[in-house]
Amino acid sequence: MLNFLSRHAVRNCDADDHSPTRRELLRIGSLGIGGIALPHFFAWQANAANAAAAKYAGSKNFGAAKNCLMIFLQGGPSHIDIWDPKPDAPANIRGEFKPIPTKIKGTFIGEHMPMMAQALDKATLIRSMSYTPSGLFNHTAAIYQMLTGYPPDKVSPSGQLEPPNSADFPTAGSHVSKLKPMKEPVLPFVELPRPLQESGIIGKGGAAGFLGKAYDPYRMYQDPAETVKLEDLALRKEIPPERLRDRFELLKGINGSMRELEKALDQQAVDEYYGKAYDLVLSGKARDAMDLSKEQDSMRDRYGRYTFGQSLLMGRRLIEAGTKFVQVNWPSVANGDPEKTAWDTHAANFGPLKNLHCPKLDRSLSALLEDMDQRGLLKETLVVCVGEFGRSPRMGVSTSGNSNSPDGRDHWPYCYSAVVAGAGVARGMQYGESDSTASSPKDKPVHPNDLLATMYYALGVDPEMEIRNHLNQPRELVKGKIVNGLFA
Amino acid sequence: MLLRLRTLVKLIPALCASFAMAQDQPTFLRDIAPVLNKAGCTSGPCHGSAKGKNGFKLSLRGYDAQYDYEALLYDLSGRRFNRAEPGRSLMLAKPTMEVAHGGGLRFEKDSDYYRIIYRWIAAGVPFGDEKRDAVTALDVEPREMNMQKPGESVQVKVRARFADGQTRDVTRDATVESNTPDVALVDAKSLVKGERVGEATLLVRYQGKFQTIPVTVLNPKMGFVWKSEVQNNYIDQLIDEKLKRLKIQPAGLADDATFLRRASLDLTGQAPTPEQVRAFVSDTTPVKIKRAKAIDKFIASRAYTDHWTVKWADLLQNSRKYVGEKGTFGFQEWIRESIAANKPYDKVVRELLTSRGSSYDEPAANYYRITRDAKPTMEKTTQVFLGVRMVCAQCHDHPFERWTQNQYYQMSAFFSAVGLRAGYEVGEEILFDQRANYDMKHPKDGRVVKPEFLMASAKPVAIPDGPQRRDALAEWLVSKDNPFFAKAIVNRVWSYFLGKGIIDPVDDIRASNPPVNAALLEALTKDFTDHNFDLQYLMRTIANSRTYQAAITPNEWNQNDAINFSRFIPRRMSAEQLMDAVNAASGAKAVFPEVPADLNASQFPDPHVGKEGFLDVFGRPLRESACECERRTDFSLPQALNLVNGRTISDAVADPKGRVAKLVLSGKDDTAIVEELYLAALSRLPDPAEAERAAKYLAPGPRATRAQDLLWALLNSKGFLYIY
Repeated sequence: MLNFLSRHAVRNCDADDHSPTRRELLRIGSLGIGGIALPHFFAWQANAANAAAAKYAGSKNFGAAKNCLMIFLQGGPSHIDIWDPKPDAPANIRGEFKPIPTKIKGTFIGEHMPMMAQALDKATLIRSMSYTPSGLFNHTAAIYQMLTGYPPDKVSPSGQLEPPNSADFPTAGSHVSKLKPMKEPVLPFVELPRPLQESGIIGKGGAAGFLGKAYDPYRMYQDPAETVKLEDLALRKEIPPERLRDRFELLKGINGSMRELEKALDQQAVDEYYGKAYDLVLSGKARDAMDLSKEQDSMRDRYGRYTFGQSLLMGRRLIEAGTKFVQVNWPSVANGDPEKTAWDTHAANFGPLKNLHCPKLDRSLSALLEDMDQRGLLKETLVVCVGEFGRSPRMGVSTSGNSNSPDGRDHWPYCYSAVVAGAGVARGMQYGESDSTASSPKDKPVHPNDLLATMYYALGVDPEMEIRNHLNQPRELVKGKIVNGLFA
Repeated sequence: MLLRLRTLVKLIPALCASFAMAQDQPTFLRDIAPVLNKAGCTSGPCHGSAKGKNGFKLSLRGYDAQYDYEALLYDLSGRRFNRAEPGRSLMLAKPTMEVAHGGGLRFEKDSDYYRIIYRWIAAGVPFGDEKRDAVTALDVEPREMNMQKPGESVQVKVRARFADGQTRDVTRDATVESNTPDVALVDAKSLVKGERVGEATLLVRYQGKFQTIPVTVLNPKMGFVWKSEVQNNYIDQLIDEKLKRLKIQPAGLADDATFLRRASLDLTGQAPTPEQVRAFVSDTTPVKIKRAKAIDKFIASRAYTDHWTVKWADLLQNSRKYVGEKGTFGFQEWIRESIAANKPYDKVVRELLTSRGSSYDEPAANYYRITRDAKPTMEKTTQVFLGVRMVCAQCHDHPFERWTQNQYYQMSAFFSAVGLRAGYEVGEEILFDQRANYDMKHPKDGRVVKPEFLMASAKPVAIPDGPQRRDALAEWLVSKDNPFFAKAIVNRVWSYFLGKGIIDPVDDIRASNPPVNAALLEALTKDFTDHNFDLQYLMRTIANSRTYQAAITPNEWNQNDAINFSRFIPRRMSAEQLMDAVNAASGAKAVFPEVPADLNASQFPDPHVGKEGFLDVFGRPLRESACECERRTDFSLPQALNLVNGRTISDAVADPKGRVAKLVLSGKDDTAIVEELYLAALSRLPDPAEAERAAKYLAPGPRATRAQDLLWALLNSKGFLYIY
């Protein structure tokens, strides 16, 4: 820890105005070491960054993204009806919807996505997402695969996944918030407006797992279309900043004199949470970011006055406020009532897509792309919109063991679509092509791990880097290839 | 010579016959079903899935051999076999990818699996005979593994015993798994390697039979000398016996103030008052005696009743969501009275299971109103009272346990006659026994399933066929002879005091999840039943042990042990404890419009009160599941934000009628104020350095503000948030 060389290094690579944050003070206090740990940390960070930068020297896309907005359409949207129409396929495959032209020359999408058809000039449409699940074949397993880059390894005797635990692989946002720590007091990773979920297993693939709870997302599980209550994020008026500082100083002393307890609790990350809480409350930025009343009515209308639309608007505000990784989950549960909201259209596909899901996705996603583009945010923000799988091109067949109505579609991870934009991703491009029935990629298949690797790469994280799990065993960050073809 | 040859010739037919029996006549039961399991055909993602795969379904992990045999034989009009040319059978062409197979290559043409299936088809696909070919038991070697240090390896050997008395080495086809791979790692050939010091259990499975092998990897460090700590009762003796064997030195007793706070919070949910602390630490009675007295006092308090009512209302899922407002209050009162009177545990459970009549007059009947249907009622009953999870057996036999799908329905059948109808008052329901059409049907073939106990107990209980069958279940369930009932509650109560069950998780008791200290669990269970299911007696026994009263201090021999109770492991206070402790320390009172102002959080009837506020942030369960795991005890950023900046603590320390305001008005000096605040928040006196630092803080500024800051910091400290 006491490394004077590292102290030296920080002078060379970092501005001098970074005094330790309260979090560092707390931790250092408990270790009984004066302000050395922090420079050491920055030096380590700088070293890692230098190594990766050298490896990807000459690539303008490495690190082009300062932050990432992940829109996760949990439930598995039907790619063939939304993004990848096949008008020449047999009736039991092509479905009821007609294709419409888009801003990408020669690329057609489903007729219920008219606004997105016009907004695709800002994004790349991937039509060759594909993977074969290993092990379980349900939503939870697929979500875990998509967001952690690993198939779930432990299935409980009931055939479900185990609930989230501290041996899980970390979700992408947790990796990013750990590997790209932020100096500013902002929430590094926010998930909204509700958890990832299939039936009883909540939040699998959406937590920091073996990185420790300190890297879990800040879970804003409220409906942004209503007024959200965030009193914990703004400094109380009777507590001026100096007073909060005094209180923390006192707290440090009290904790510090109970050393055995501190030692027994060192896995609980209590100090880390306190440090973050302190920084957040003092700055007030996070609270402002979640205050949608600061937006014009016309803007709120453009995003759509429902949970998903306002969630994307809040996501954009969080990105503006500096949040590194924002994850917006589709706000209704897989295995929910398909007639109402969920993408999991086993029982009824066309009615709900036409009347409910597509209009919302169409309006809100197109609003987000336009808005972020106008504000210049697309330059440094990577936007990814994808689900855990697509849906079976053939209607009424069972691929997952679930039963399907004659017009329903089952899970289909072998071929589906994604929309990506920003941070150097090509504008107005289609990447990859599916076969005549949208059943498998015809060319350029993109495994979810490839998509993750590309995200990490864009965010300036070397996807091939080694990480250590809870048993300190070396693991790859992700076993995927960077999809260079996505970048302009 | 000639004679010898003739003898040999005579012997040939006999030799051939036995050879044919053992080698040339493979049967489905003995030879083929294991291949289907080992090659993965019957696994969940493949043909074992509930709907099969690509039109071909096998039973999950091959639990139903008859079904699998028939599926192979009769599906596709028997096209899976070509008896004239076995090699052209689909059953061989698919897994070897001779023809396209969604599941990919399962085995090569040049493999033993291929050859045995080939021979089986050539022999005319005989099923075999359960009386001859079924696996009856597994012999595993070694029965336990004791490695002297990490890095050692031991090979597991598995022999299957068949019904005809023959045995066979099945090591290659058996599955061996470790429950703690970072202690004992199993490779593909069932070679077990000790990775680090600790304990693990191996589960060996073959054709529905299983065995467990305990593994211990000892600490190779030299110089261990056992230092005797005080032993207060048999718990400590049994704990020490095992620790000594593992070269783990337990921690000694925690100091008096620490003990008092811990025992008070664990027994009553409330921290001790400053007066209690002062009196206790200055009491010169011998430690063991004065602690025993304190424990008795806690158990006799009203707060004891409140605290354990919360626990039981959690497990019984008392919530207005299920039973309405009045129903919730009635059920809560029923639970309270049972706890206050220390009603024997077997009696409480019997009353729940045999309840009948109006939900207003007989609040125990709410037990059935919460789950309503026979199957969920059975699942809850077995999980809460037996610690057994039956839920997987609804669709298939439990893969790692002996519970079968039939048993799931047999047990559910006990509740199939339970009827509910609207009562005379608003929100009232009447629980009754249906007189007709109450049979439990099996989902496979619709046959009527008669009620049958999960396992026989020493004293047989007759099961009536009529609608009152659940009375027989109650009798069997709460009996002293039931091997699970007393054990499950003893284990559960232990976990409330020590943070972890002797079997953990506490509601997943099965042979493949063995206790970490079987002798201790057995002794506690016997003691509990010998004392007539007296829960207070059980808690008193646990709380008086040195094991419970141990310090958190690690030493070089126990610092890596987290499962053998060699020192106390701190736990975060529960949501209700935390809120009540904040109120008690600050002298403030958070008010909830749904309940009378004088109720504290441990007295709230259900999670409807204070919904989505402080209590939920700190992990109060919604009572939507009977699982102990629904209550969360971890720490998170929203919790930190709430403690630092939320209303609960900020308002409490600044309350104009609170402790700080009163202290300041009283004109006491700084030292007295510091002492009082330490006692109120941390239930101990400050040491001189702490006292000096705090007094220095109070001195300069406006006293009220500075004292508020001090209390704020104490309430945010780990010494407050954690039970240690």
